[in-house]
Amino acid sequence: MIDLLSGYAIFSLSTVLVFVALATLLHLQFGLAGIVNFGVVGFWGLGMYAFGILLLNFQLPYFVALILAVAIVALVAFVLGWVVLDLDSQAQLVATLAFAAVIADLVTTEKWLTKGVVGLGTVPHPFGGAQSALWLLLILLVLTVGVIVYARLLGRSPFGRLLAAIRDNEVLARNLGKDTSRAKLIFFTLTSAGMGLFGALSAPVRQFLTPDLLGPGVTFSVWIALIVGGKRWPLGGLLGVLLTIFVFDFLIETYLRVPSDWAQIIPILKLMLYGVTLVLVLLFRPFGLLGDRRQPTSHL
Amino acid sequence: MLKLNAVSSGYGDVTILKEIDLDVGGEVFAVLGSNGAGKSTLMKAVAGLLRSQGGTISFEGRDVTRTAPNKLAEMGLAIVPQEGNIFPDLTVRENLSLGALVGTRPRKARMDEVFDLFPDLVPRIDQKAGSLSGGEAQMVAVGRALVQEPRLLLLDEPTTGLSPKYASSLFRKIREIHEQRRIGILLAEQNAVKALEIADRVLVLSLGAIFLNEPAKGIDFDRVRAGYHI
Ligand SMILES: Nc1ncnc2c1ncn2[C@@H]1O[C@H](COP(=O)(O)OP(=O)(O)OP(=O)(O)O)[C@@H](O)[C@H]1O
Ligand SMILES: [Mg+2]
Repeated sequence: MIDLLSGYAIFSLSTVLVFVALATLLHLQFGLAGIVNFGVVGFWGLGMYAFGILLLNFQLPYFVALILAVAIVALVAFVLGWVVLDLDSQAQLVATLAFAAVIADLVTTEKWLTKGVVGLGTVPHPFGGAQSALWLLLILLVLTVGVIVYARLLGRSPFGRLLAAIRDNEVLARNLGKDTSRAKLIFFTLTSAGMGLFGALSAPVRQFLTPDLLGPGVTFSVWIALIVGGKRWPLGGLLGVLLTIFVFDFLIETYLRVPSDWAQIIPILKLMLYGVTLVLVLLFRPFGLLGDRRQPTSHL
Repeated sequence: MLKLNAVSSGYGDVTILKEIDLDVGGEVFAVLGSNGAGKSTLMKAVAGLLRSQGGTISFEGRDVTRTAPNKLAEMGLAIVPQEGNIFPDLTVRENLSLGALVGTRPRKARMDEVFDLFPDLVPRIDQKAGSLSGGEAQMVAVGRALVQEPRLLLLDEPTTGLSPKYASSLFRKIREIHEQRRIGILLAEQNAVKALEIADRVLVLSLGAIFLNEPAKGIDFDRVRAGYHI
């Protein structure tokens, strides 16, 4: 037990949980509502840095800083969504990708605020004591399960059906009596703020924040996980992350004794295997390993 | 119920409909005309899907010239467009239940009425609408609009692609719906003979203008036909 939950194991499991949450939020945005968000790391990283800055530079109380950080992400998502959500998916892709790149750039260059590549100070765990990392893991577990449950319930609700209708035939959806642009904007703001929340909570997981955390690799990992697991399925994100990120970042790196001269090869191997997996999935199971199964529809 | 006053509309800078005046009561109002006459453009203009280029539209006494389509749906107007009138990736059940985003009566009761009207849909309830036959898909499209319980229903060539048997039965059902629910129906149609069988009033569009607007009863068919050959 002690060995199983070593400090590094807790760190890795926390990271995996964050990825599960991000992939599930992306399922909501893309799989359910058809919004193309290639700026996952931007919302996540903004939440993380905003929280760290409010906590360390401005000395705000822990939970005040957390709530404020999420509010900042929500505001940014609202403005970005307002501009791009009614454009086509290519425009959404480019705009969100660019947004994430801007966030990474700002974090690197605005040294007065972020200390740039030197790194922001150390973000403490929410609760002190010997088990503080474990507490954080538990919080992440509860919140991640919460996101999955929300995804499940939403798919069966009228609002969820409206989002699916918008994804499927937006022109027709405008005749259903609901403001489709508003529905998308509210939903995008909410789910992106969710990514920001998990970013903020990643700050104490990472503890020491540096700009290199904000590379596009985060976004790609989340997308690959979702596509492997099944974009239409609330559990698709979970399954995909378990098969990709969990296997590599947790099982292999934590428990597999690899010769030290392999250490450099593993990340490259990981990317190659991700790529191969993605190609195989797209070829043989285009809707992910969970197939074309969607949530059962509302039972009347 | 629906009044158009010198309505001009079209796409971008192109004007298709030219100063249309129209008064639709709680009747079956057929809009006829050959391909490209502007039937669909008229339907889209009424449903708020096109930018107005002039004139005014009122629905039940309220000016709706610049009202968004979702607001019109809330006010009691439903449209079955000629194309893209279903959600192909959603099931029959989901398609129909989307009609219940407006209105207050229980969703189940409203959907059951549609299944009574189109019993062929019952075995297809959990099938994706995109995998239905053309006729079944049209039933889903009309059914979804009926679940909305509109006071004015816009049907744009609902029988396109249907076999004559299906088409006749759908026309009969349209009349039936009108009589049961006392709602207004604006029906765009190619087939003048079929439309005249169920319509109270007939409008023939030609090149975006009104060629003829008369009661269906005792209408001179040659004059209707003339509207197709300009
Ligand atoms: N999206 C569009 N953009 C530009 N022009 C259009 C568009 N849709 C239709 N038109 C033009 O408007 C005119 C009228 O088209 P409309 O679709 O209203 O005809 P219709 O009477 O419905 O014909 P049909 O019986 O073939 O459906 C046509 O000349 C057509 O080329
Ligand atoms: Mg047409």
